Parts: sequence; C-alpha cells; structure tokens
Amino acid sequence: MRVLVVEDDPDLSRQLITALTDAGYAVDSAADGEEGYFLGETEPYDVVVLDVGLPKIDGISVLEQWRRANRNMPVIILTARDRWSDKVAGMDAGADDYVAKPFHMEELLARIRAQVRRSAGHARAEIECGDLRLDTKTARITLNGQPIRLTSHEYRLLAYLMHHNGRVVSRTELVEHLYDQDFDRDSNTIEVFIGRLRKKIPSDMIKTVRGLGYRLSKDGDET
Amino acid sequence: MKLNSLAFRLFATAALWTLLVLAIAGVVIDYVHRREAEAAFDTRLSQILTQIIAFSTLHEGDEPRTPKIIGEPLFELTHSGWYWQITPLDNAPGRRMVSASLAGESLILPSNLKIRPDANNIIWYNATGPVGEKIRIAENVYNAGEDEAPRFYSFLVAGDAETTESVNATFRLPLVIALGLAGMVLVAASLFQVRFVLKPLQAIEKRLSDIRSGNAEQLDGELPAEVEPLQTELNALIKSNQDIVERARTQVGNLAHALKTPLAVIINEAREEKGAGSQKVAEQATIMRDQVNYYLDRARMAARAGLVGRQTEVLVVAEAIVRALERIYSERGLDFSVDCPSSARFQGEKQDLEEILGNLLDNACKWAASRVVLSVQIEEPSAASPRKLLCICVDDDGPGLTPEQRMQSIRRGRKLDETKPGSGLGLSIIAELVQTYRGEFKLEQSAVGGLSARIKLPAV
Repeated sequence: MRVLVVEDDPDLSRQLITALTDAGYAVDSAADGEEGYFLGETEPYDVVVLDVGLPKIDGISVLEQWRRANRNMPVIILTARDRWSDKVAGMDAGADDYVAKPFHMEELLARIRAQVRRSAGHARAEIECGDLRLDTKTARITLNGQPIRLTSHEYRLLAYLMHHNGRVVSRTELVEHLYDQDFDRDSNTIEVFIGRLRKKIPSDMIKTVRGLGYRLSKDGDET
Repeated sequence: MKLNSLAFRLFATAALWTLLVLAIAGVVIDYVHRREAEAAFDTRLSQILTQIIAFSTLHEGDEPRTPKIIGEPLFELTHSGWYWQITPLDNAPGRRMVSASLAGESLILPSNLKIRPDANNIIWYNATGPVGEKIRIAENVYNAGEDEAPRFYSFLVAGDAETTESVNATFRLPLVIALGLAGMVLVAASLFQVRFVLKPLQAIEKRLSDIRSGNAEQLDGELPAEVEPLQTELNALIKSNQDIVERARTQVGNLAHALKTPLAVIINEAREEKGAGSQKVAEQATIMRDQVNYYLDRARMAARAGLVGRQTEVLVVAEAIVRALERIYSERGLDFSVDCPSSARFQGEKQDLEEILGNLLDNACKWAASRVVLSVQIEEPSAASPRKLLCICVDDDGPGLTPEQRMQSIRRGRKLDETKPGSGLGLSIIAELVQTYRGEFKLEQSAVGGLSARIKLPAV
C-alpha cells in the first residue's frame, strides 16, 4: 500500500513516515501544497494524509483540485483546526476522514487502514480469501489459523493482493502501489516476490494471467 | 415623559418660552391700553377745563361767572367723583365757586408743588376726593382781570380716576382669556412638534434592537441629517466589533495550529521511547494538549461574549454536519434522519451551533447501533418562557447511560471549574456553549433505545 504524507512540519513528517513505514506502507512525502498536489496528481496512492495548513497551496485547495481532476483516492485531513466548521469544510472539499492534531499515531494508523479497506470494498477489519486471513489491525496474515512468516516486502505484496482478491492486478499496478517513487521500477523484484509467496501459501492461489498480471483467488477458483 | 429626556427638555423650554413671551405681551398690551385710556381721560378733563374757563371768563366784568357744563350730569351728583372748582389764586379775595357734586366742600390739592404744567399750561394731580375716592385733577391758572391789574384764578376739574381703572379691568379679562388660549394652543403645538421631531429616534431604537436580536447587521435606512454621523459611527462600531471578534478568533486558531503541531511531535516522539521519563513526557504532553483545547474553547467563547447578535439557519448547519458525519462513519452504515423546519433560525453564531450540533451528533454516532435521529422544533413564546426557543433533540439507539451517569455528565458540564478538561463524552463544551446562550441541556433515555440529548436555544 502506498501512502502520501503532505505535512510541512519536518518533525511530524519524519514521525509519520517512520510510523507508516514500520506499519508496512510505502511512503512518499511532500512538504508543501504544490509538491503534494503534483504527487497526488501523478502517482496512484492508496491513501493520502494531508495537512491543512500548508505553504504555497493550502490543504483544502489541494484536495479540491484533486477531486476536480477526478483523483478519488481516500484522503485523511490532518489539522490543528478542529472546529466543526473546519471539519465540514474539509469533508465538503472531498476528504474521507479527519484527524485533529495532536493525535495518537495508533489512531491515525487505524483510520488509514480503514480507508484502505474501504476503498478496496471491504467493510471489516479482517479480509479473508480461502484459507488465508489478513488482520489489518495487527498486520498479520494467517493460513488456516497459523501465522505465515513474511518479510515486509512479501507482506505488502500479499496484503495488496488480498485487498484486491479476485481481480487481475497488473505488474505496473503492483509496482506503483507497493514501492515509493524512488524505487527502481525496471527491476524484476515483483516476479521474485511472487515466486517466494507461492512457496509460503498454496501455490495455485496466485495465478499468472499472461500479459495482464496476477490474480489471487481461492483454491480451485477458475474464473 | 421622563424628566431627564430630550422630549421633556424640548417641551419644557418651548412651553416656558411661549408662556414667558405671552406674559410679556400681555403686560405690554395692558400697559399700552392703560396709557391710551388715561390719555383719553386726560383729554376729556382738559376739554372740560377749557370749556369751563371759556364759559366763565367770556363775559363782561373781571369776576368769573358760574360755568354751565353741558353733557356731564355727574358734576351735579353729590360725591360723584367729578368736580370742578374755581378759586382765586393764593387765597386772594374774590368769588369762589364749586360744582354741586362737591356739596360745599372743596378740593384739596396734594402739596406737591414741583409738578410742572404741560404744554397747554395744565398741571395734573392724582389726588383724593372728599369721600376718599381716587380722582385726577387738571388745574389751569387763568387771569380773569386786566393785564395791568391781574386777577389770577385757579380753575380745577376733577374726574373719577376709577373710571379708567374700570375700563382697564373690563379690557384685561378678555386679554387674559385670549392670551391663555393662545398659550394652550402653542403648548399643545410644541408637544406635537416634540413628538414629530423625536420620531426618528424611536425608529433608531427599534433598528438597534433589531441589530441586537440579529435581524439586522447594521443601522440601515435614511435618517435625519443630524443623526447621520451617529449612524455612521454606530455602523463603524458594529463593524469594528465584528472585526475584533474575527481577529481574536483567527489569532486563537493560529495559536492552536502553532501549539498543536509541536505537541503532536512531542507526544508521538515520547510514545516511541519506552523509558519512564518519556512516559512522563507523553502523559504531561497529553494533559497540555487537553488544556490547550479546553482553554482555546473558552477563549473562543469569551471572544463572543457580548457580541452583537447574528442568526443562523439551523437546517443548513445540520445538513452540512450530517453530510460530514455520513462520510466519516460511512463504514458503520448508520441511518441518519434529520427533521428540521427550514424556518428554524438560531439566534447566535453559526460556529457555536456547529460545535453544539457537531459534538452532539458525533457522540450519537460513536454510540449508535444503527440510527441517529436529529429533530428540531420551534417553541413559540409563552407565559412560562417569554423567549422563542429551538428544541433540539439528538437520539441514538446505542447503549445509553444510566440515570447516575447522565446526572454526572450534566453536573460535570455545569461545574466546569472542577472539571478536568477533555473528559468523557465531550459534553462540557456543549454545556458551556448552551449556558452562554442561557439555554437548557438535558440528557434522557431515548425512545429509540439509547441516549437522548435535549437542548433548548434561543430562536429568531
């Protein structure tokens, strides 16, 4: 999952990046509205954490411009201005959630998880696919109740596939959503990780759809 | 009409001037008339005197003869106040004659010898007659003899001075009546004038109360030229009042932003470290955060105290907040229902209503199982409560609170000084806001199962 953090305070920005990276997200960051707008406009993020008080362009305007350009990724507004008029203005501008500063990191992470799930069409905190079960709260994947040992890259890949299970996910989409913008996209790491995952879960769950990408589905599900 | 009022001042001065001028006019008219009457009386006396002198001296011989006075029977009537008397000057020997009305007595001139004769050689006296009546005497000294052997006689004619006074008295009554009527009409006119002149001030009073009740933003409309500077100044004052509040609010918001981001950094940083020291820092920073929030809310409220009134459409605010909450809680699939007449207007700041409704509805959303109901009703003024009120009810079908818990929440809201800020349901800010507007705040068991928050606020 790829997250964009737009926050001008360098300390808070660093904390957010650390916490999100630790939670298994690929994180890009911007320190002002202009840069933030550009990144959100050009990169496919799964969720955006957007500060309202930003230099150059304020957060609400950035959000409005994204929505006007049909960028529909979930956006969580982060601001010290916690009056209801500010909340309503933020939500009306197209935000999906609202976190008031100062906040507990756990709360923000929970909100981010909820937005990621919601945008992938899952209502519950746990996502199941056959015998696989992803608990988004604890960032754990179990097979028949037994935890699977995964590296962080493997977790990201499998979690993304589980969020979008039953759908064909292209290699490009995976690269775009699993790695931050500095990642070397020409490498064949995706294939390597798919290969590793097939050894850890029933190998026929991840199918290669030739020329299109990969699909995670229940055992024996042919469609 | 109050004593200390413009109306009374205007009316009193107008009435005073009117009465004073009328009184002076009355005195002057009376004086002029008396002078006229006296002059006419004197003319008559001097005519009679001339007639007597002419008659009694125009004959042969050097003694005056008894005059005949035509057309004045009062000279024949005893003690009538009308007399004539012819005597030789300085008690010289000679014939002495008096009118019948004197009945043998004689007129005594006041011993005031300094009186000079007038242009016709007549000397005038105000004297007392034989029976003590006031008389006016005209005297002419005439030489009835030859130039070589003069025989000077004093010719006196006296008239009843009360005649002129009674003439004056009969004139004075209609004068006083006429002037009194004029005075009353003028005073009544000045009363009307005062009302008419001060009418724009009453209009201003009404418009000012409109501003206070939130029906108007400023003092509009055309006013008399004298009041226009006042109007301009008042509007400027209202504007600057609003500006000050806006500025205070912006600065409070800026302060919030400035404090909250560093606090967020401190809290997150401290929670990352596992030492006892950093735990203390996290704990204290959390208290700081709560204190900042609490006092910023209070500062916002203080900035509003005494602010000129505004009005806010309830439905617009309610819909905006429900819209936001539907997005925030979209996962829960809550069923929101809003029942609010579009005519409902809150007499107060939009931001305050947003805080009240936002916090109440947010609370309801947190606890609701599936339903959140907002209903707003307008309560017309009655004998029990003279103010027009909005009755706002927010119900949810969550677990609700026990009666003791409800009591506690409300009490906590009321006695804010003993409260630790940021506690529990966040009802303290609602309670304090409602109190600012002298409203009511109650928690009850809801008909749909959970908690029912009932609030009364002033309506427009």
